[in-house]
Amino acid sequence: MQDFFELAVGAAASGCVYGLIGLAYLLVLRPTGIINFAVGEWAMLGAFGGFVLLTKYEWPYPLGMVVALGILFVIGGSTERIVVRPLVEKGAPLLAPILALLGMVVVYRETISSVFPPDPMPVPYALGMGRLEFGPVGGTYQSFFTIGVTLAVFTGAWFFFERTLAGRAFEAVALHRRAAALMGINLSRVMALSFGAGAVVAGLGGLLVAPNTSAYYLMGVPLAIQGFTALVIGGVGRVEGALLGGLLLALAEQLTVRYAPIPSGYAQGVPLVLLMVFLLLRPTGLLKAKG
Amino acid sequence: MNPILEVRGLTKRFGGLTAVHDLDFDVCEGEILGMIGPNGAGKSTTFNLIAGTYPATAGDVRYAGDRLLGLPAHRIAARGVMRTFQHNRPFAGMRVVDNVLVGAHTRFRRRLWSIVLGGAREEERRQRGRALELVQFVGLGEHAQADVGTLSFGQGRLLEIARALAGEPRLILLDEPAAGLTPAECARLAQIIRGIAARGIAVLLIEHDMHFLLPLAHRVVVLNFGAKIADGLPAEVRAHPAVMNAYLGSHAPAA
Amino acid sequence: MVLAGAAFFMGDYHNDVYRKLLLWVTLALGYNFLFGICGQVAFSHFAFYGMGAYSIVIFLFQFHLPLPIAVICGIALCVLFALAVAIPSARLEGFYLALATLALGQLFIVVLNEGGEITGGTGGIANYRLPEIFGLRLRGPWYTAVIALLVVATYAVLARLDRSWFGRACRAVRDNPEAAAAMGVDVARTKVIAFTLTSALAGVAGMVYAFVDNTVNPPIFGIDNAFLLLFMVIVGGAGRHAGAVIGATLLFLLPFWLSPIVGHHQALVFGVLVVLAILLQPAGLVGIYDRLVRR
Repeated sequence: MQDFFELAVGAAASGCVYGLIGLAYLLVLRPTGIINFAVGEWAMLGAFGGFVLLTKYEWPYPLGMVVALGILFVIGGSTERIVVRPLVEKGAPLLAPILALLGMVVVYRETISSVFPPDPMPVPYALGMGRLEFGPVGGTYQSFFTIGVTLAVFTGAWFFFERTLAGRAFEAVALHRRAAALMGINLSRVMALSFGAGAVVAGLGGLLVAPNTSAYYLMGVPLAIQGFTALVIGGVGRVEGALLGGLLLALAEQLTVRYAPIPSGYAQGVPLVLLMVFLLLRPTGLLKAKG
Repeated sequence: MNPILEVRGLTKRFGGLTAVHDLDFDVCEGEILGMIGPNGAGKSTTFNLIAGTYPATAGDVRYAGDRLLGLPAHRIAARGVMRTFQHNRPFAGMRVVDNVLVGAHTRFRRRLWSIVLGGAREEERRQRGRALELVQFVGLGEHAQADVGTLSFGQGRLLEIARALAGEPRLILLDEPAAGLTPAECARLAQIIRGIAARGIAVLLIEHDMHFLLPLAHRVVVLNFGAKIADGLPAEVRAHPAVMNAYLGSHAPAA
Repeated sequence: MVLAGAAFFMGDYHNDVYRKLLLWVTLALGYNFLFGICGQVAFSHFAFYGMGAYSIVIFLFQFHLPLPIAVICGIALCVLFALAVAIPSARLEGFYLALATLALGQLFIVVLNEGGEITGGTGGIANYRLPEIFGLRLRGPWYTAVIALLVVATYAVLARLDRSWFGRACRAVRDNPEAAAAMGVDVARTKVIAFTLTSALAGVAGMVYAFVDNTVNPPIFGIDNAFLLLFMVIVGGAGRHAGAVIGATLLFLLPFWLSPIVGHHQALVFGVLVVLAILLQPAGLVGIYDRLVRR
């Protein structure tokens, strides 16, 4: 039983990271309808940001984190401006920016691989390497930190979408671009913001998971798949869906690795199998969209 | 005259809203039936119910004796009911004549394996000839090989019709074909529609513009708030008190 | 015309590079049909390529089936998986197919890596040779001719389908699925057929590939190559067979010219090229050619 709780905390932490990536997809998907495969690479950039600022230059953690995420915001916004906006303004079909972003996946990845050596780079833990025990439940500081930060982000996101005017603006753009524009909502700003925010959230995910896995340039695609699976499981209609999906996915992965009588390499297959199962049987996800 | 389309008790509810209520009417072969009514009367909904875009809540629609309700759109087209769209929907990556050829999709007989082995040329040639005739018929002859993107709005409307005709329909559904056309284009359109009816094809026509519709249709059905309020010859309908009531304040018909 | 093509290819006895190029062209032609003509985004093409390659090796040398049976079984396997993915996805939005095929591609690699005895694990399978066919040992340039035949045959099949009502139906589904349905096109069925057909063709190409290096291992069939295939088709010009050929040839040969200059990072160049292509000339290189011709 002790075993299970240990596993649960670890899974919860992983699940939070997947949820963050899923949220990153949502932030871009909602107002624009664009599936941004590059979120995995954004996470990777977040991890490398952590490496450069925190490990190499040894900045204090909070400062390093904020600056790294700030850089990601700029990267996200400029990606939107350079790659996506010209296509949207030209009236290109929705497929075009999605493919262009796929091209960017390769660009991001190769840029990092040419700047840094190919070995995985270490990223420091937020609160140092320690453990916390609450009765039967125990886990590393990093796990709890991850869970805490993620909950904060999701609460913020939920609040933003449900309660603030700006959040409603996002929804409006999602529902009907032209009507939103007519009502005075600045479309290009919404889009730039959504990309920037998506980059920040994804980068945060990368930064949080990197101490355990190290920053390496190939980490993007698996994370992108895991994040997307989280989204599909949880449902695209609600912000909380991404988190729920992430947690379920992580739990499924850990349980498979721990208890299933198959070689551990197959753990990689779990998100893929779940993804296919959900796509086939319940593509709208577990949580229904509002209204 | 033989009714080819029989609509009985057609009803559609969207949640609490009844868009179409207990609708009854017939369309006969070679007849032009006009459907008019103020905005929101349920004309488009009726249209989409027959064309298979929405499922109906209740009622029966029979085409040449067969049930049409519940069939998916492509099966309805295969039976010989073709439609146009209110907002032009051309296939943007293709030429005009190819667009029309898609309309003829259900008329092709060659199986895939036969195509792979090279046996499709004869049928292609024949169908292409037919398609070109149709393009001529609607007056787009010189644009047959052009990219659809180069067509004007009015020409695009004509393409919609040619494409629908390519399916060799016995019933054709026209969704506001005159919308956005210049008077000259309207006159040409009316001529084309008469030509279609003359070929024995039944025409169900939704239209807002009474000036266009009343001289053209053989019979008219008037909808308001989802129900039929009048049904008869254009002259009768024009003078019908309920119809005048419905249109009062917006579109009073010319005396 | 077909024979002239094969004869021409036979004259050029280059080697390994040329064969690989031809195989990429074959894959690109198939992928172009699925993506460019039918408008379906999928990342599983390489997985089917791998399925064909691995299956024929496994059926021939692990299960010791005779060659024709092995070929048929391999194709059947590809068709089965293609249907399993395509049928449910056909009724959903396009990106479901994209993600499902991405997952399939990754899953395929995982299965290969973990397959132990049967798939040879991460090392793959090597040191086998093509058995005799009708007493002929197909070696060297003769095998190149076989590949050339494959390219031509693939092109012939796809070009014929393209010119027929099926090709038009595919384009209609790509351009406007709702209107296509109103015209009588069974949209779901068209998508499934296009996907299954092109995936099976990729599988066949895979079978031919298995005997080029006489070795098969997991990294070859990864999604990096799937992306590369997509890039080839986009840069060349999606929707046109010529585009597939040009794109494949260009992106395949580019690393050879670039490596003195850019070293290992040719992938970066590809990524940039693709983004540029989409931003500036979505019709690809073929589109540029068309414009020049029209002037």
